[in-house]
Amino acid sequence: MIGTVAAIALVARREIVERARERSLWVSTGITIAVLAGVLLLPSALGFGGATKATVAVAGPQAERVAAEARRAQKAFDVALSVRRVRDDAAARRLVRAGDADVAVLAGGTALAAAADADDAAVAAVQAGSQAARGTRVPPPLPVTQAGDENADERSGIAFVALVILYGQLLGYGFWVATGVVEEKATRVVELLLSAICPRQLLAGKVIGIGLLGLGQLLLIGLFGVLVGSASGQLEVTADVVAAVGVVLAWFVLGFGLYSCAFAVAGSLVPRQEEIQSVTAPLTVLILASFFLSFGALDDPGSSLAHVLSFVPPSAPMVMPVRSIAGDAAGWEIAASAGLTLLAAAALIALAARVYGAAVLRTGSRVSLRTAWRAAAKG
Amino acid sequence: MGLRRRYGDTVALDGLGFSVAPGQLFGFVGPNGAGKTTAMRIVLGVLEPDAGEVRWRGRPCDEAARARFGYMPEERGLYPKMRVADQLVHFARLHGIDRAGARAAAARWLERLGLGDVAGRRTETLSLGNQQRAQLAAALVHDPELLVLDEPFSGLDPVGVDVLSEVLRERARAGVPVVFSSHQLELVERLCDAVAIVRAGRVVASGRVADLRAARSARRWRVELAAANGAAPDWVGAVPGATVVTSEDHAVVVELGPGGDEQQLLDAARRAGRVRRFAPEEPTLAQLFREVVA
Repeated sequence: MIGTVAAIALVARREIVERARERSLWVSTGITIAVLAGVLLLPSALGFGGATKATVAVAGPQAERVAAEARRAQKAFDVALSVRRVRDDAAARRLVRAGDADVAVLAGGTALAAAADADDAAVAAVQAGSQAARGTRVPPPLPVTQAGDENADERSGIAFVALVILYGQLLGYGFWVATGVVEEKATRVVELLLSAICPRQLLAGKVIGIGLLGLGQLLLIGLFGVLVGSASGQLEVTADVVAAVGVVLAWFVLGFGLYSCAFAVAGSLVPRQEEIQSVTAPLTVLILASFFLSFGALDDPGSSLAHVLSFVPPSAPMVMPVRSIAGDAAGWEIAASAGLTLLAAAALIALAARVYGAAVLRTGSRVSLRTAWRAAAKG
Repeated sequence: MGLRRRYGDTVALDGLGFSVAPGQLFGFVGPNGAGKTTAMRIVLGVLEPDAGEVRWRGRPCDEAARARFGYMPEERGLYPKMRVADQLVHFARLHGIDRAGARAAAARWLERLGLGDVAGRRTETLSLGNQQRAQLAAALVHDPELLVLDEPFSGLDPVGVDVLSEVLRERARAGVPVVFSSHQLELVERLCDAVAIVRAGRVVASGRVADLRAARSARRWRVELAAANGAAPDWVGAVPGATVVTSEDHAVVVELGPGGDEQQLLDAARRAGRVRRFAPEEPTLAQLFREVVA
């Protein structure tokens, strides 16, 4: 005889190995990563964010010194200067006129020419460079602090991405559980399985296997996000992103624990793949509603609706991550919400194991939840 | 034994019971809806009985014992997208065989059933006949101590029937009790040492096939007369307790009721004409079946 843990591990292992062989898993991972890369890289590729770029045209060693000093000071002015060396002042002027340079350092570093649309900060940086080159001691510019949380926008962006990914993952993998249950039922392999192990072990193995696969995919996506973000310099608040990945992983576990068993029960009620859509519709609607309600939390994480929804188990796995990534939720709130979700998941798992066991062998036609429950209650 | 099971208001099993000896090939026959599949599912623990129990080697059957049973459900089914060999390894391991043992057993059965060449293919790409063989391999791969097969012969071509018969005989010779259901009564008669005939959730006849036939043959006699007198054999009417079962030109099969005496029957026959043959009539399993389920 096989122990419960060993049986669950075998079933879970089969789910992971067989599904990892399917191309669809890798296609969906690839698409998610591509979308994520787009969200992370597109703004800087299009020139949004980061330091303002400007070109300085120089002729002669004196002018070059000015440019070098300007580059040393560029960080304080939030500009990124690149230097173009030309033969003489006339060539430097031509570059500025043509729009190929923003500022030209002329006459051995004693005069400047700026393009009409030149960035003020870039001109100021070159001015500071010229002062430093002439040996004039000027104190460095004062540091500026923005009022409020300077990362609020960025956090909100991260929360949005986290929400979309969580939503997709909960719905997608929940659906996978339902499909997997129906597959075993429709192909009748379930009877052979149940002659070897009991329904609870089969259910647990399936949910854990598919859940681990979902978690692994999230981990891969999260890792990629952090890598790309830090490499591109787009995410200066890498710590925030790492924390967000952690939040998403934790809430995927909680949310999947809650939803997957409900999806499994739904799957066990129908005999054919064609009926999955209709039988899982209530769950799909619940997840979709939670997703849209989470946008409210994204807009205003402190609203009372967001507060309430972040504690109600069906919506908590999407609203609470948004609130906690946005930095709005207190530690005790997160703990309480997670606790409630866990409690609801535990109750649902116990319930699901019984109904699933009673319904999964009834092939032929759709079983109503009530019939399955009665059969389960009978033992 | 004494199994009872209801589905809502439908009584599927009504005190059904039978026993199978080690090394016995046991046929489980009965009309559709008699409760064969339900009984088998209960033996395998797939269903719980409402009342009664399954005993194995003298003790109530538990999960540990059931892990050593092999089962082929009537509704065939394997994972369609899984590779055949992986599938067998998976099922062997679910029955508690370790990884190396499971691989070896899977390879052995695939070879034995002529599936060696398709071991690495997805199950759904196999021909129907090969899928049936894979199903059989899944029932056998953990070297079970009891085999329960629900309609294993249905849908098999004659070669498949021969292969399966040989495998079942071989398992029985190895001491494994083999229980299978079938509607092909000639096959059951040829293959089985013992049978149980079920009707409406009860066993209406069971035991060794020879004994069942002998029990009936003591009461049935076949009489052949040299000269056909054409008309109905009214001479039978003179024998107390005798009724005609069938009657052809020369031959008549007579059943003797309780208290009927075959010597009186013989005397009556001799008065009617020259007796060329007088012998106990052994019914075939199919005839027995028709009588007891009628």
